[in-house]
Amino acid sequence: MPRFLVTIEDKEFDVWLNEENGIFEVTVNGSNHTVISSQLGINRFLMLYDNAPNEVEIRSNGYNSKSNLFLSGHEINGTVEDYKLAQLQKAMGISNKPSIDKQLKATMPGMVLDLKIKAGDIVKKGDPLLIIEAMKMENVIKAPSDATIKSIAVESGKSVDKGDKLLEFE
Amino acid sequence: MDNKAKPIKKTLIANRCEIAVRIIRTCKEMGIKSVAVFSEADKTAHHVRLADESYLIGNAPSSESYLNQKKIIEVAKSSSADAIHPGYGFLAENAQFARTCHENNIIFIGPTPETISLLGDKIRARQTATEASLPVIPGLEIENKDANFISKSSDEIGYPVLIKAIAGGGGKGMRVVNSSSELKEAIARASSEAKTAFGDERIYLEKYIEKPRHIEIQILADSHGNVVHLGERECSIQRRHQKLIEETPSTFVDDILRAKMTDAAIKIARQANYTGAGTVEFIVNQNGDFYFLEVNTRLQVEHPVTEMVTGLDLVKEQINIAQGNKLSFKQSDIEFNGHAIEFRICAEDPENNFIPSIGKLKNYRPPSGPGVRIDSGVLIFSEIPVYYDSLIAKVIVWGKTREEAISRSKRALEEFRISGVTTTIGFHRSILENDKFASAELSTDFLSSEYPDNNFSPLTIPLAEKAAVAMAINFYLNRQKTRIPEKNNSISKQRNWQIAYRMNRLNQTRDR
Repeated sequence: MPRFLVTIEDKEFDVWLNEENGIFEVTVNGSNHTVISSQLGINRFLMLYDNAPNEVEIRSNGYNSKSNLFLSGHEINGTVEDYKLAQLQKAMGISNKPSIDKQLKATMPGMVLDLKIKAGDIVKKGDPLLIIEAMKMENVIKAPSDATIKSIAVESGKSVDKGDKLLEFE
Repeated sequence: MDNKAKPIKKTLIANRCEIAVRIIRTCKEMGIKSVAVFSEADKTAHHVRLADESYLIGNAPSSESYLNQKKIIEVAKSSSADAIHPGYGFLAENAQFARTCHENNIIFIGPTPETISLLGDKIRARQTATEASLPVIPGLEIENKDANFISKSSDEIGYPVLIKAIAGGGGKGMRVVNSSSELKEAIARASSEAKTAFGDERIYLEKYIEKPRHIEIQILADSHGNVVHLGERECSIQRRHQKLIEETPSTFVDDILRAKMTDAAIKIARQANYTGAGTVEFIVNQNGDFYFLEVNTRLQVEHPVTEMVTGLDLVKEQINIAQGNKLSFKQSDIEFNGHAIEFRICAEDPENNFIPSIGKLKNYRPPSGPGVRIDSGVLIFSEIPVYYDSLIAKVIVWGKTREEAISRSKRALEEFRISGVTTTIGFHRSILENDKFASAELSTDFLSSEYPDNNFSPLTIPLAEKAAVAMAINFYLNRQKTRIPEKNNSISKQRNWQIAYRMNRLNQTRDR
């Protein structure tokens, strides 16, 4: 029976799937559910989860994939791994989880208003790193996780494009 | 129609998104042709598709398009529009633009340039309010630091008082003083803080309003001297002075307070020779003392809640007034029915400090059903550009009572499906579950005191579990697909064999 390890934020889900004619008998961390998934369009599904409807928009690619999903107004990122493979890699000390991105990139074009950090600073998850003005608003870019700032690629007063490197973590 | 009246046949809407759509709708209902203008970023926008004619006016940045006065006037003339509706934002409160319209024989749908500039200037607006005997927040600039004078002034204003830097901002140099004994020390500290932060030690002292509510009065004034009010709207749910939820009536306003506030609003409208639709904003303390804040000389984002309870179309009234008609009703003809709440749906991520979310709407399905009105400026597959305001739609809900409006709002917001960008829908849904919101214990610091960590709709375990299952199923189905290679697709066949081989090896390794 296919078994997967799904990681969302810091939570792990052990998911067993048993498919029969499009109906999935699912066991998640030991609890059983019946799921019917029907395609609505490209990357879009209607998932009846114990008969409760959920519209899901999902994108993923390849093996050990990162998944990006919209569900009940939430944008949720996670990784799916083959359970055995994940356990094996764990035992062998190989981490297949995406490590924190070493680079922080601009998610939108805008202008750097202020830098709250300098190279060498140690930051905690959620600490403000820099302020970018976009859409007429000042947006605080926060640290995605605990990290040390290696270098800063932008200057205050300069504009940035979507995808530009803002800074690097160690 | 009156003698002075000049009928409008064609209106240019100098705006975009939901408000442009909103105005075009009324024009169509009135048999007025509509002209849309748009930037390079809005080529396929909703308003462009709805108007009778649509003109490209420039590049995406608003300075080169929606704020390009010369180009907009040019389009108005070449399309023979006889009026311009500015909506809100952009050129709506630009006295000079209103004047340019008049000079070009185009009706500007709004107050006169004189009224706009009078009320747009904070100091002159405050003067006008005082002349019309409206209460303003008492305060004074502390030029000389004569201790007795300051202490006497503070006593007159009444404690608590707020000391703030004139050059200020960001809370620096700000102090709340609860009694005269704290005053001297607080002034010294604030003054030195102001000097360090802004190089300007001047400070200002004003009455501190604890737990203030934002309550505003909608007015309509024609060019024949008739002024009516359409009741109040409470807009206390704000973030950094940006309104997020508005409702009418305010549970805080009783008949006596309403009479006082609406009377004040009508007084300042008369004092400023107001014409058109306008909003007089007040700050109200928890005792029901209210103070003049400002007059917005335009249609407000939140005007639909007033429309829902009065049955009036404010854009239609604006156009009628601009045509020179008399108001077709008296104050006593206006009836208020039920309760309405508006939710601003913005492309922003509330969990992440309301950072704008840009992208393409992969799914967009607004709610409908009894008592639900959607004023929306986007369609499925719309791109949300980075250049403009992040407001994409407004959900306006009507109920017989506030309770009914709230339960209907919960239903409507649950129905709303948007994917592709993050929106404030989840934020609104969590506010609707808040006990203090339910009992209408509101103030403009509601969000900062109730949600200090911006934790509005955290990812719950059951939701994460569903997401995990969806991801696993999607992964499984994708793998099924890649395992059945297409005919003659030797590369994919080979790849699948490689994968299968590796997996097999791994399984064997594990079994060992």
